Amino acid sequence: MSAFVQGVQRRWRRALSGPNRAKSLFVGSALTPLMLYMLFWTLLPAIWAVVLVFFKYSATRSGGSILGLGGDNPYIGLGHFQNMLSDSLEAQKFRISLKNTLIFAFLVLPLNLAITIPLAVAIEAVQQRLKTAFRFVYFLPTLTASVGVAIMWGYLYHPQQGLFNMVLKALGGSPKIWLTDPREALLGVPLAMWAIIFAYLWQDMGYNLIIFIAALQGVPQEFKEAAVVDGANTWQIFWRITLPLLQPTLLFVCVMTMLSSFQVFDIFQIMTGGGPKDYTRVLVLDIYLNAFRFQRMGWAGAVSMILFLIVLVVTVVQMRLLRTRWEY
Amino acid sequence: MTTARRAASTRRALDWAVVRRRLGRVALYAVLVSGCLVTLLPFLWMILASFKSSSEIIRIPPTLWPEKPTLASYQTILNDPKLPLGRFYLNSLIVAGSQVLMILFTSSLAGFVLAKYQFFGKGALFGFILATMMIPGQVTMIPGYLMLARLGLIDSLWGLIVPSAVSAFGIFLMKQFIEGLPSELLDAARIDGASEWGIYWRIVLAQVGPALATLGILTFMGSWNSYLWPLIVITTHERRTLPIVLTWYSSVHGGRTDLTMAAGVLVVIPILIVYTFIQRWIVQGISMTGFK
Repeated sequence: MSAFVQGVQRRWRRALSGPNRAKSLFVGSALTPLMLYMLFWTLLPAIWAVVLVFFKYSATRSGGSILGLGGDNPYIGLGHFQNMLSDSLEAQKFRISLKNTLIFAFLVLPLNLAITIPLAVAIEAVQQRLKTAFRFVYFLPTLTASVGVAIMWGYLYHPQQGLFNMVLKALGGSPKIWLTDPREALLGVPLAMWAIIFAYLWQDMGYNLIIFIAALQGVPQEFKEAAVVDGANTWQIFWRITLPLLQPTLLFVCVMTMLSSFQVFDIFQIMTGGGPKDYTRVLVLDIYLNAFRFQRMGWAGAVSMILFLIVLVVTVVQMRLLRTRWEY
Repeated sequence: MTTARRAASTRRALDWAVVRRRLGRVALYAVLVSGCLVTLLPFLWMILASFKSSSEIIRIPPTLWPEKPTLASYQTILNDPKLPLGRFYLNSLIVAGSQVLMILFTSSLAGFVLAKYQFFGKGALFGFILATMMIPGQVTMIPGYLMLARLGLIDSLWGLIVPSAVSAFGIFLMKQFIEGLPSELLDAARIDGASEWGIYWRIVLAQVGPALATLGILTFMGSWNSYLWPLIVITTHERRTLPIVLTWYSSVHGGRTDLTMAAGVLVVIPILIVYTFIQRWIVQGISMTGFK
């Protein structure tokens, strides 16, 4: 132990004397406040979040002396996680939210790619000035705050005044109550969920579009020219050359799209608030409602841990997969 | 086959190829332009609605183009004492502006130290910073709220500013950039008698302008659009930020779509116009970082 202390002392002395003194002082004075800040505002909440999971906690009860834990906010061990498997109301709501989040994420990803990849290839194929113009227009929704998106799309879906029902009627169909009718479903997914998915896609595709366009610009022109010389047509070039070279980007985009759709909140809270019949209740909405509406912060913390686990798994899978074979 | 006939058939094939390519071009542009229209439609529908009168907007079937364009809804909003839009713009600007300044400062400083200095525990420190990027905000949201409550920062703009002065992503981005600066430049400044802080302030900051712009814009957008955290923290009406105000207004005036849409225009469109001028930077930032 004393050897360790001596070692540290030696290190300090060396750092604070001689030619390195100024540098060491700078590093210390620059990093110390920053690290204290991060310990307080990043590490402390993270640890607190983990601790909270083991308690039946509400901010409205005073509880024990340390962080209000204990007393009226009793320790229940893994009780919240056991509860998740039970038939209690909050557990049912949690499981519905988890299911809805998965449905949302796994529908958004393929739909997003099916729009953005062809669109990126198409935009990449037009001349420079038009390319900038197209990219600008397609990117506008992404720049819009999700609150604005929710307001605009809520109006498009308005049962009486909305554009969609106006078009539906003009085409001879019967108007739909897009956001609140629990009976309507398509492919087993409630209509309200589809409605939000399309609003979300409209807003979200700009990001991936830009990333794909940037990646397409990185595909060496010689590869395509060589393929043309060999007699390949446009489709073959796309499938055999462009797409394989886009693989790292594709993977990155998949993960980012997944992560953000697991954490979606704004558009659901504003457009449906989780309804009809919890058909659009997603995880973060569940966490928000439990923590700040029903004062079940321990429970909400446990649900947020499940979200964290999902995010962690997606990220780790990404890291594994990103060791890609393609280099160019 | 004679040479002449072969030449003719080759020409025909070439013509056909040209026609096909032209047709392909036309189809390409048709798809792209109609896609643009679909993209612009929600904006257009909102803007058109904001110019309709309160009686026209509830008419069934709805009109596409306003019959008698009117500014009535804008007048109602701008004269609404419950909706001092200037105040809310200022709130959003204060929060976003402070966040940008603080994050630019802390990210460039930490990025500089991590990129250009050797010290004990550097690897572990950087690992810790990267690891914090994996924690979703929804996990630390509840303890974060409890901390604000204990510090008495609930329901104040400070509660929106103070917890987001440091960004792990920002530190990472700036470190990557500053590593590209030649160390000789810094050594030359040292020989000329510059202090370490002087090097940071005069040399490093002057060299990483583009990275600062990218980080600043992305931070600004994130803060300007942020919804969940202000929703939790702010309870007093006058202290709300723009996104919260817009949803509040639309829920209070649920039946008056004309008013809601005019409010939407006043909140959404001005910032889009600003973004238009700096779009090149935004696009560059996103394609460079993949940041959302």
